Amino acid sequence: MTRPLAVLVALVATATLAASSTVSAQAPIKIGVIEPLSGPVAASGNYVRMGAEIASDWINARGGVNGRKITLIIEDNKSDPKEAASAAEKLIVRDRVPAIMGAWGSSMTLAAMPKLEEYGVPMVVETSSAAAITKRGNPWIFRISPPSDMEALGLEQYVDRLGVRRADFLAVNTDWGRGAIAAFGDMLKKKGVAVGAAEYMDQAATDMNAQLTKIKGTGGDTLFLTTAVEQITLVLKQAQEQRLARKIVTTGGSSSPTQLIKQAGAAAEGSYHIVFFMPWFPEAMPDAKLARAFVDEWSKRGHPFEGLTEGFRGHDGIATIVEAIRVAGRDEPTAVRDALWRVSLVGVNGPIRFEKDGPTGKESGQSKPSIFVVQIRDGKVALPDFLAKQ
Amino acid sequence: MSGAGRAVLAGLALTLPFWLPNPYFLHVAIMAGIFGVLALSLNLLLGYTGQLSLGHAAFFGIGAYASALLTLRLEWSFWLALPAAVALAALAGWLIGRLALKLRGAYFVLVTISFAGVVALVSVNWMELTNGPLGLPGVPAPTLGPWSLRGKPAYYYLVLAAVLLASLVCRRLVHSRIGRAFVALRENEPLAESVGVDVTHYLVLAAVVSAAMAGLAGSLYAHYTRFVSPEVFLFSYTVTMVIMVVAGGKGTLAGPLVGALIFTVLPEALRAVVSWQWQMLAYGVLLILLVVFLPRGIVPAIAAWRVRQAP
Amino acid sequence: MAELLQHLVNGLVLGGTYALLGIGLTLIFGLMNVVNFAHGEFYTLGAYATFAALGLAGANFFAAVLAAIACGAVLGALCEQALLRPLRAESIDTTMLVMIGVWIAMQNAELLIWGGVAKSIPHPFPTAPLVLGPVSIAPLRAFVLVLAAGLIVMAYLAIHRTRLGTAMRATFQDRDTAALMGVRIHRMHTVTFAFGSGLAAAAGALLGPVFLAYPSMGDLASLKAFSVVILGGLGNLPGATLGGLLLGIAEELGAGYISSGYRDAVGFVIIILVLLLRPAGLFTKQERIG
Repeated sequence: MTRPLAVLVALVATATLAASSTVSAQAPIKIGVIEPLSGPVAASGNYVRMGAEIASDWINARGGVNGRKITLIIEDNKSDPKEAASAAEKLIVRDRVPAIMGAWGSSMTLAAMPKLEEYGVPMVVETSSAAAITKRGNPWIFRISPPSDMEALGLEQYVDRLGVRRADFLAVNTDWGRGAIAAFGDMLKKKGVAVGAAEYMDQAATDMNAQLTKIKGTGGDTLFLTTAVEQITLVLKQAQEQRLARKIVTTGGSSSPTQLIKQAGAAAEGSYHIVFFMPWFPEAMPDAKLARAFVDEWSKRGHPFEGLTEGFRGHDGIATIVEAIRVAGRDEPTAVRDALWRVSLVGVNGPIRFEKDGPTGKESGQSKPSIFVVQIRDGKVALPDFLAKQ
Repeated sequence: MSGAGRAVLAGLALTLPFWLPNPYFLHVAIMAGIFGVLALSLNLLLGYTGQLSLGHAAFFGIGAYASALLTLRLEWSFWLALPAAVALAALAGWLIGRLALKLRGAYFVLVTISFAGVVALVSVNWMELTNGPLGLPGVPAPTLGPWSLRGKPAYYYLVLAAVLLASLVCRRLVHSRIGRAFVALRENEPLAESVGVDVTHYLVLAAVVSAAMAGLAGSLYAHYTRFVSPEVFLFSYTVTMVIMVVAGGKGTLAGPLVGALIFTVLPEALRAVVSWQWQMLAYGVLLILLVVFLPRGIVPAIAAWRVRQAP
Repeated sequence: MAELLQHLVNGLVLGGTYALLGIGLTLIFGLMNVVNFAHGEFYTLGAYATFAALGLAGANFFAAVLAAIACGAVLGALCEQALLRPLRAESIDTTMLVMIGVWIAMQNAELLIWGGVAKSIPHPFPTAPLVLGPVSIAPLRAFVLVLAAGLIVMAYLAIHRTRLGTAMRATFQDRDTAALMGVRIHRMHTVTFAFGSGLAAAAGALLGPVFLAYPSMGDLASLKAFSVVILGGLGNLPGATLGGLLLGIAEELGAGYISSGYRDAVGFVIIILVLLLRPAGLFTKQERIG
C-alpha cells in the first residue's frame, strides 16, 4: 500500500473504531464529568476530577446506589466553550448519562447549557460563579458553588473587622473577575467603603507590574484580588517587588493558600483568602468527620495537599448527583432532575440544598454554600487575626 | 473524481441525517461543515494567493458576534442577520486587505495576528456592546416560516447548503480570470504585475471574499451553539483552520473540506479510543506524522497516487 | 513622576525579557524562514529543565541554567534533523504545520510529565527589592536583565564575528554559493536551529524563576517573540533587542495610563502601525520578504 493510502486508512480506521464502540447501558450507573483537564487551567480541573474520583470510589465501596455501582465518564473541555458543548453532547447522546457535573469555568458551563435543555439532562455546577448561569431560566442547572454576590455577602460581616476603608481591585479579565469586581464593589459601597482602581489582567499574563504600580498610586488600604492561584502567586511576588503595602484579600476560593506559602513565600505573609473548604482545620468544617476523612483519603492517594481547596468541589458534586439518583430510585434524567430539588445532604463544604433562582416557571437550583476566611501568618494557614483575637 | 463517485458522495451527504445512528454524530457533522466553510475561506487566501492569514478567527468571531447581537438586541430575523454578518466580516476583510496590501509573507501574517488580537480584546473589554467575557447566551435558533431550524437535521441541511455555496463561490472564482490572476500572483508576483495584473485589486478581492465566508461560518456557529463568548477569537481556532487547509491540501478545492472533516472527526474519535490524558498528545503526534508522510496534504497525495496508478 | 519612573523601570525589565525571547526566534524565523510555533515550547522546556535539574540532581542554580540550555539545544537539533530536514524542499506552510504539531505534542507531553500545577523554581537571590530613590526592582530581575544583555551580545558576536557564524549567514543568504565554498549546508541548518532553541531554553531558564513554570507558559512567549522579531526586522539581533525593549515599555505605559484591559492591544497596535509605516521592521534597511 502506498503511503498516502496507508495514512488515510489509519485515520478512517480510528474514526470507525470510535463509531462502533458505543457501549450498551448496563450494570453501572454512568455519571458525566466535564472539566478543563488540559490547557491553562488544567491544574484546577484535575483537582476537581481527583475529588470526584474519591467520591465515586467511596460510594462504590459502600455498595453503590440503588444496588448498582457508579462509574464516572470524564471528558476534557480543554478550557474551550466549543469543546464543553461537544463534550456535553457526547456524554448525553452517546454515553446516555443521567446527569453531568461541570464545567469549571463559567463560559464553558454557559456553552454546555443549551445542550442540557435540548436533551433534558441535569447538570450540577461545581465551580462557575457567573450570575447568568442560574438567572437564565434553565431548569436543568443546579449550582453548589456560590455566585460572586453570594460570596461578597459572605464577607460582609468581616469588612469592619478587616478595617477596609478604601479598596482597590485587581482581577482576571473574564466573567469571573468582572463579576467579582461588580459584586464586591457593590457590597463594599453599601458598607461605606471607598472604591478606587479596578484593574484587569489577561488570563495568560505573567507581568502585572504595570497594574500594581498604578494601584500603588491610589492610596487605598486593601486590594481585592480575583484570579487563579498561579496569577495570585505572581501578583503577590510582584507586589512585594513594588513595595505595595496593602492588606490583600483573594476571592473566588481558588487561591490554595498552601501553594501560595510554598511558591510566593514571604510575599504571601499576612494575606487573607476566601475559601470554601478549610483542609487545615477539618474539625472546623460543618461535617468534621467527613472533612477529616476526605483530607486523609486525599493524602493517602498521594494527591498534593494544595489541591484540596479545589478538589472538594468534585466530591460534593458527585455526592449530590448520587444522592439525587438515590432519592429518585432510578437513573433517568428527568427523575434525577426532580429529585435534585428534594436532596438534602452535607458535603465537605457543608449542607447542600437547592433553592429556586431565576425566572418563574423555569428556575435553576442554587445551593447556599459555606464561606470561610483564612489568613497566612508565620508561613502557616491560620484563622484570620480578627477572629483569632476574639 | 469520477461522476459516479461524485454522485455517491452527494447522496451520502444528502441522506446523512437518516442513517447516522445518533445525533452526536450529526453534531460532529455540523461542526465539520462549519469548519469546512472556514477552511475553504482560509484556502482562498493561503492556497490561491499564497498569503497566510493567522487572524482568520477575527472574521469568524466578527460574523458570530454581529449575527448574535443583531438577533438578540435588535431582534432581527436570522435571515437578515446572516447577510449582515457576512457583510460586516467582508468589510473587515476589505480593511485588512487595504491596510496590509503592501505586506507579504511574515509581515502579512503578523498584521493579521495583531488585528485578530485587537478585535479579541475589544470583545472582552467593550462591555456595553459585547457583554465582555460573560458572552452572549440565548442566541435564537433560526426559523423558516413556521418551522424552527433548531433541530439537528434541519440545521445540518442549512450548514450543508452553506458548504455548497462556499464551494461554488470558490470554484467559480478559481476557474475564472480572477483565479488565474490569484495563482499568477502566488507563483511570481513581479511577473504578474509586469503583464498587467492589478495585484492590489486582486489581493483585496481575495481578502474580502475570504473574510465574508468566514463571517458566514461565524453566523452559523453562533446560531447553532446559541452562545457566543470572546473565546470565538481564540488563536486555536485559527490554528485548527490552518491544520485543515494545509493537511487537506492547500490550493485544491477538495483539500480544505477533506481536512475539515478529518480534523473535526479526529478529536472526537480520540475521545472515544484514547483516555483524556493522551488525547491532545496523540493529536499532535498524528499531525506530525501526517505532515512528514504527506507533506503536500492528503488530496494532492491521492491525486498523485491516482496518476501513478493510471496505465 | 515617581510613578512614571517606576513604569519605565518595569517596562525596561519586561522589555529585556521580550528581547531574550526574540533573539532565538529571529535566527529560526528570520534566517531559516521556519514559522516556529514550537519556539515557546523550548522556552517552557528550559524552565522545566531548570526545575528538574535543581530538584532531581540538586544542582547549583547556574549549573541548572546551563543544563537547561544544553537540553534545549539538543532537542532542537533532534527536531531539525528528524522533522525539518526531510521537509526542506517543501513550502514554508508545510514546515509551519509540522511545528504546530510539535507545539501541541510538546505542550501536552509537558502536562503529562509535570502535571498542570505551576512549579516555582527556587533561585539564590534575595526577595527584598533593591530600592533606588522612588523606584524598586527585584534583585533577580536585575540579574536577568544583565544576563540577557550578556547573552544577546554573545549571540551577536557568535554570528557576526566567528567563522561558524559567517558560514551560518552564508547558508541562508546564498545556499548554493555557500555549498560551493565548502559549507556543510545540512549541518548549518541543524546548528542554527539548535542555537535558536538553546536561546529559547535560556530565556525559559532565566524567566522561570521570575514567573512560574507551567505547561501553557509558552503560548504567550511565542506570541511576544514573533512580535519582537517582526518589530526588529527578520534575522536582526540588535533589532530584536530594541524591538523587545520598545514593546515592553509600550505595554507598560499603555497598561499604566490607558487601560489595563487593553494592555496587549497596545503592543498589537504598535505592530500594525510599524508594519504599515516601516514594513521591514524598525531597525533595518528597507527590504521586503515574500
